[in-house]
Amino acid sequence: MDEELGQIPGGPPIAAPSPEDPAARRVPRPLVETVLPIAVVAIIVLLLPLFIPSFVSSLVTKMMIFGLFGMSLNLIWGYANIPSFGHAAFFGTGAYTAAVLVTKVGLSSFWLSLLLAIIVTAAVAAILGVPAFRVFGVGAGAANPIYFLLATIAFGELLSRMAVSLRPVTGGTTGLSGIPEAAIGFGAKTNPEQYYYLVFVIGAVCLFLMYRIVNSHYGYGLRGIHDNERRMQALGYNTWLYKYTSWIVAAVFGGVAGVLFAYFGSTLVPNNLAMVTSDISFLLVILGGTTVFFGPLVAAVFYVGVEYVASVYMPQRWPLLFGAMFVIAIMMIPWTKGRYQGLGPEVLRLWRRVVRGSA
Amino acid sequence: MSQALVTGLNGLSYAFILFLLAAGFSLTFGVMGVLNLAHGALYMLGAYIGIQIVNTLDLFWLAIIVAAAALAVLGYALYTLFLKRLYGRVPEQGVLTIGISIIMANVVLWIWGPRAKIMQTPDFLTGVITIGGLSFPIYRLFVCGVGLVVLGLLWYIQDRTRAGAIIRAGMDNKDMTVSLGINYGLVSTLVFLLGVALAGVAGVIGAPITGAYPSMGDNLLLLTLIVVVVGGTGYIQGTMLGALVIGLLDTFGKAYVPQVALFFAWIVFLAVLLVRPSGLIGRKVF
Repeated sequence: MDEELGQIPGGPPIAAPSPEDPAARRVPRPLVETVLPIAVVAIIVLLLPLFIPSFVSSLVTKMMIFGLFGMSLNLIWGYANIPSFGHAAFFGTGAYTAAVLVTKVGLSSFWLSLLLAIIVTAAVAAILGVPAFRVFGVGAGAANPIYFLLATIAFGELLSRMAVSLRPVTGGTTGLSGIPEAAIGFGAKTNPEQYYYLVFVIGAVCLFLMYRIVNSHYGYGLRGIHDNERRMQALGYNTWLYKYTSWIVAAVFGGVAGVLFAYFGSTLVPNNLAMVTSDISFLLVILGGTTVFFGPLVAAVFYVGVEYVASVYMPQRWPLLFGAMFVIAIMMIPWTKGRYQGLGPEVLRLWRRVVRGSA
Repeated sequence: MSQALVTGLNGLSYAFILFLLAAGFSLTFGVMGVLNLAHGALYMLGAYIGIQIVNTLDLFWLAIIVAAAALAVLGYALYTLFLKRLYGRVPEQGVLTIGISIIMANVVLWIWGPRAKIMQTPDFLTGVITIGGLSFPIYRLFVCGVGLVVLGLLWYIQDRTRAGAIIRAGMDNKDMTVSLGINYGLVSTLVFLLGVALAGVAGVIGAPITGAYPSMGDNLLLLTLIVVVVGGTGYIQGTMLGALVIGLLDTFGKAYVPQVALFFAWIVFLAVLLVRPSGLIGRKVF
């Protein structure tokens, strides 16, 4: 059986790797490049609160939340080449849903508010996605994504204006404040220290799910759409359905990030739905790079770190730095056919060097 | 009835401010396909320059010229340093210009401070005109007049001049235009400069009405997007139509149904995008 597999019909026999072959003795690649870094990062993140002051661990919480936000946009922008300028619409929808349920409706369970926020976000994305993909469209059939971009801007702005108008529910321009600590069941409330672990667990679950999605048959379909949508259509893929569903999936993960953000900051303003917040999501995608799965997470660590340092030393001039990040990200980061080589690939390269150097 | 008439006149003058604001964006977006999301910030800069000059030197016309010139220089830098290298990459143009507008808003905050500024209306344009018992500020009529002049000028350039013909040809088929030996790069650079300079002119002229504050860029940009998309891209008369529709809708909406007025424009925007993505009287550019 093995001999048959190792043989190409009509070709020379292929030698099976012998145990003495140095390539075979090396640690398997997936172990070095997936399991080990994940374990290292997970252990560092889990043990970090023991060594750092609480304000730093709240920064790490924020990094994780924004990392999830950026990665959720990367699902569509990076994998399927669907650029969106309105991803905060879903971030804010998730956040507002959870916050309204907790502060106005009187729901106490964190998990129930998370679940309902996911459902509402998915529904909003499903509704907005129909015009977005049926009429404007990106990719094949739509020569220029300009109308799609304008429509995504409109989605976020429309929702944020509605949040301003529906004052009794959403608190108008002042927004919602006093969102209580997350009640995770059994009468337990999370203080910031425990919330750190809650965000870590939910973030890890989301990352795992996203990783499975982008490395599934479906995820490869999205990459195929990125590279050549016409060819995917010729191969019999319903590319519209792929794009539409990936939009909803990305929205749901963005919504989860929003829920985590709502409990984290305990305050929401309509700008959390608007372009101002969307800016952050696509900055993370481009800065982190779209060729590596965890790219936006690296960018989120960088972004939140820089924001904190700037808020300490030059709070007035932080927008200068923030704006410069966009310019630098666009002009400096190598770009080929819609794929960015950002901080993510750099970190990956560094990791490989460290591993190879020590091995 | 007279209330409706006053609201209508206010809406009309608002529409002309919107037109001045959107005309420059319409040029760069509709003609060149460049998504310049810093347009609102450029308007803001124009307004600040205008206010500075009028309040120190009290020369209104000089303010307009200086603002236009300064923004043209800035636009040239923006175009040659950045946007030229991002040809055809619309999302990247958008992201880049968002960054530029954030930087500009902070620079303006740095120089002029966070408080809103308002320009003194020039002496020869103050006062009101009374028509049939209704008083109406002269300055608003002046804004309408300038809007009409700019509309006429751009319309003339678009339809009657060689530059306009080149622009229209480039919109239809850029490669073909270039292959005919026409220096399309030069014309498109000039159109971009004209668009940016118009933002500055609009900023100075709109300053006595809209005022100037560092965060105004975002709001104005979003208004611009609505006007340009509703009216239609590629034709200057489309921008005028969009400005009229949005200006009147917004003014009447705020007067009669203030609760929905906030997002009414966005619903119109989405509806137009859904039914006619090229706008009410635009041509299909993309």
